[in-house]
Amino acid sequence: MQYDTIVIGGGHNGLAAATLLAKAGQSVLVLEKGAQPGGAVGVTRFKDGGSVPRYAHSTIALGRQEISDLGLSRHGLTGREAPLSTLLLSDDGRHVYLDGPSVAYADGAAHPDAAGFTALRDRLSRFADKLAPLVAAPPPQLEGGDWREIVGLAGLAFGIRRLGAVDSREFMRVLLSNVYDTVLDEMDDSPLAALLGVDAVLGGRQGPRAPGTVLTLLQRLRNGGNRIVPKGGMATVVDAFAEAASAAGVTIRCKTGVTAILTEDDRATGVETEEGERITCGRVLSSLDPMTTIRLTGIGQFDAEDVRRVRNIRTRGAAAKVNLSLSAMPSFTGVSDKQASGRILTAQGLGDLELTYNAVKYGEMPETPIMEIVLPGRRDAEMGATLSAIVQYVPYDLQGGWTDSAKKTLESKVLDRLEGFAPGLTASVQEAEVLTPVDIETETGAPGGHWHHGELIADQMLMLRPVPGMDRYEMPVSGMYLCGASTHPGGDVTGLPGCNAARQVLKGLKKRAAA
Amino acid sequence: MTEVSGKNGKAGRYDAIVVGAGHNGLTAGAYLAKAGLKTLIVEKNDYIGGAAVSRELHEGWTYSNCSYVCSLLRPEVARDLELGRHGLQVIPYEGGATFLNNGDHFGSYAEHNAFRREIQRHSPIDADAYDRYSRYIMRQCRFIRPLLLRTPPDPVSMRPKDLQEMMFLLKRFHDLGAREMADMLRFWTMSVGEFLDEFFESEVLKAHFAGSGIIGTGLGVYSPGTAYVLLHHYMGDVDGSIGAWGFTRGGMGGVSKALSLAFMEAGGEIVTGSGINHFLTENGQVSGVVLDNGDVYEASTVVSNMDVRRTFLEHVEEGELDGDFIKAVKRFKIRGSSGKLNIALDSLPDFPALPPNSILMQGDMHASESLDELERAYDDWKVGKWSEEPYFDMLIPSQIDPTLTHPGKHMMTVFVQYAPYELAGGESWNGPARQAFADTVINKIARHSPGFRDKIVHMEVRTPWDIENEVGLTEGNIFQGELTFDQLLFNRPVPGYAQYRSPIKGLYLCGSSAHPGGGVMAAPGANAAREVLSDMGRAAVGNGVMGRAA
Repeated sequence: MQYDTIVIGGGHNGLAAATLLAKAGQSVLVLEKGAQPGGAVGVTRFKDGGSVPRYAHSTIALGRQEISDLGLSRHGLTGREAPLSTLLLSDDGRHVYLDGPSVAYADGAAHPDAAGFTALRDRLSRFADKLAPLVAAPPPQLEGGDWREIVGLAGLAFGIRRLGAVDSREFMRVLLSNVYDTVLDEMDDSPLAALLGVDAVLGGRQGPRAPGTVLTLLQRLRNGGNRIVPKGGMATVVDAFAEAASAAGVTIRCKTGVTAILTEDDRATGVETEEGERITCGRVLSSLDPMTTIRLTGIGQFDAEDVRRVRNIRTRGAAAKVNLSLSAMPSFTGVSDKQASGRILTAQGLGDLELTYNAVKYGEMPETPIMEIVLPGRRDAEMGATLSAIVQYVPYDLQGGWTDSAKKTLESKVLDRLEGFAPGLTASVQEAEVLTPVDIETETGAPGGHWHHGELIADQMLMLRPVPGMDRYEMPVSGMYLCGASTHPGGDVTGLPGCNAARQVLKGLKKRAAA
Repeated sequence: MTEVSGKNGKAGRYDAIVVGAGHNGLTAGAYLAKAGLKTLIVEKNDYIGGAAVSRELHEGWTYSNCSYVCSLLRPEVARDLELGRHGLQVIPYEGGATFLNNGDHFGSYAEHNAFRREIQRHSPIDADAYDRYSRYIMRQCRFIRPLLLRTPPDPVSMRPKDLQEMMFLLKRFHDLGAREMADMLRFWTMSVGEFLDEFFESEVLKAHFAGSGIIGTGLGVYSPGTAYVLLHHYMGDVDGSIGAWGFTRGGMGGVSKALSLAFMEAGGEIVTGSGINHFLTENGQVSGVVLDNGDVYEASTVVSNMDVRRTFLEHVEEGELDGDFIKAVKRFKIRGSSGKLNIALDSLPDFPALPPNSILMQGDMHASESLDELERAYDDWKVGKWSEEPYFDMLIPSQIDPTLTHPGKHMMTVFVQYAPYELAGGESWNGPARQAFADTVINKIARHSPGFRDKIVHMEVRTPWDIENEVGLTEGNIFQGELTFDQLLFNRPVPGYAQYRSPIKGLYLCGSSAHPGGGVMAAPGANAAREVLSDMGRAAVGNGVMGRAA
């Protein structure tokens, strides 16, 4: 059978791209290596019946445009999900709780920096909203953009100017600044100060002192920076994307790995699967990273300079995932059940975050890892007494490699840290799953186990992502596109790279039809 | 010694007063005096030059005890002020080396073929990559050099001059073409470590080049933005040879001396020995300065060579400035990160790693052999410690410049990165810490130079705290402010005040806190003078300073 488009990889970005193309009337086939679609949004089921989101345990709120374009609301993603609350655990027991606009100590006492923090967060959110149009579209072209884009950019500049002279100057100053100074200029270091730092660096391999981390943060502060878990858990996210794709007429084939992208006369013509089947198509969209995509096509098909640039993309991940099955729901000292129902962070300050980052630079494990924890069972009793922790900073390239004993060491570091906040937790562990960046790479195909398929920092963002020349989703081989997290605007469960790529494909077709 | 005694006056009236006789203050002063203004420069120390000084701190030895090499000084300024005629002589050096712990070295030769052969010895692949690297760096230099003597536009302003300058910059950028534009955006935002990782495989070669990306900054080799700092050390030249570095004959004071001669020839006066107490202001307009010794000088134009924090937080009454401006000034990052050892040597030290009489010894020598070593040095600084394995930039100018000391004796300057301004635990620099810091450095040098310790006749140890106290640079930061993108161009030093002016009418900044930043460049001084003259409705002086006033 011949398809208009084949999408390699059934992660949410591949599915999003497929859906938009199918809705535009194309016949689309999605090929997924795993047993089910979902990529980085899977589920771990423990022996005793409990379950936990395998990788991503929350997502930033999806944009209204994507929800409506993909038709996700009919499949469980409404865009009206209540944002998660945030609990900041403090070594001195003075935990901080943030729920909606309220910022206070967990015991209800007023936090001295609440006003300063809120003002800063609001200002940065305002800035983030100004940048939002940049994220929801292909990155601006440095040269030869059409009039629509130029008008769009002028609108963006005008929008920034409309912040007023003081704020627009401030915008241009902080844009490439570092989150450490930006926050500590306004308040003393504390778990509260660390919050924006964690949001800026989580999943990446940068410390909060790295210039450019404010830009990374701004990307995540869109739509108020809220994080959500949809009703029915993270599984709903994948299901919604997959169902929306099917509803649009996309064919999804699982357990079908692709071994080659076929080309003829510098043009993609189909793919070859693990079983040796050749499927022809008009174009190929790859949600894999560019290096893997290039390898599948054959390196000889590409310019040496392009290959060099792609090889230079920094993709070493720095976040691990630890999933625990417990005999009872953990109880954090001084914290109510409600307060423990959102995300829970363990960073003690921006200084703590920066020092923890030091080790990863040399391929070492941190002394005291920093975690973002979610207790899925607090929101969905069916998931049982489980704990999901994103552990930062854990090197992909650990010295000596990720042996079983290294994984055990990481596990005990995590448990030691948890035990301090929730005495008795260690004894209640029934099963533990440690997913290092290497495991994440193996299982999901994310290069380096990196969330974003490539570090999300100024020199790998916008038109520099994944590399100059491929920033418009199009590969140098005609009929070949990228649509994964390695492209603009990067990772997190947003569906934006997929949507942008599909829109770019359609725009190209329209142009060709007109010509 | 370049001491200039002014006519220690008690009071006087001038067209313009410059506070601080650093190289930028002298430059601004010289341009103003040449434009016909009756100009006075006041200096707190009893010698001029700020951080560009030559001082005889041990009998028979002249030290360039602060800044120590020359390259960035804008040739346009040298021409306008005829610094050659006033005695400025820069002697290029032609080598450099990084010592390895295994007894080998990496040599850096100014001569291209020799350098290629040396790189080849460490990595044949890198020898090819080096040509690509040089071309890349040159392209960036070509882009940025002409911008140094231009006033940054205010992107928020709608004034024709700002719009025109914005268009100029955008056009210049756009003319590069898509691929080069992308390369430039990457270069400006990358870390020097990652930048070098893309080109080279040899650790020592990367470490050798990376030093320029961190010197004087509170950043590590893996901090984004340090690739640009690297450029800050490549965009200079000696006699038209771009990227070359040299020694000023007689020490770095030679620069200040030539500038001061140009200034005085144009009728300028210098008063040394008393710092400014405060600026006099009337209704938001500056009217003069009051010195610590009580002398009062009046002028409706005052140009401050001090850094932005010192100028506005210590010498302007708080009520004169609005809260937002003060906040922005306080937020401006000036972080002490480096120290210095100035050493009088009984004889030339031995470096067994180098061939005998090697030209490599005449230039900058280092002993950091990997990027990781450099990054760990930064990690120490972050927690308030000086680096256990410091990066140093070590030179012995007396090999080339015989005026510095007796024949056979030598003067060595060792710039050390990193040293924090505030030590962990509140320990004072003015105690045993200073010597312990020096010992750390000397021990590292001695690992590569047996018997080094015994050759030391005298040593001056300068910590960030000492540099702040003596020179007046806040935290001892050599750039008067971090060179990060949030503090460059129209953000330097304060958004909305990047055109050398301040909220106080008639009060200008001409130091390295202003665009384009530090290094003995004289660009901020020249740019500030141009703006002052423009505000007075006078024509700019000289053909070299082409940038238009904003």
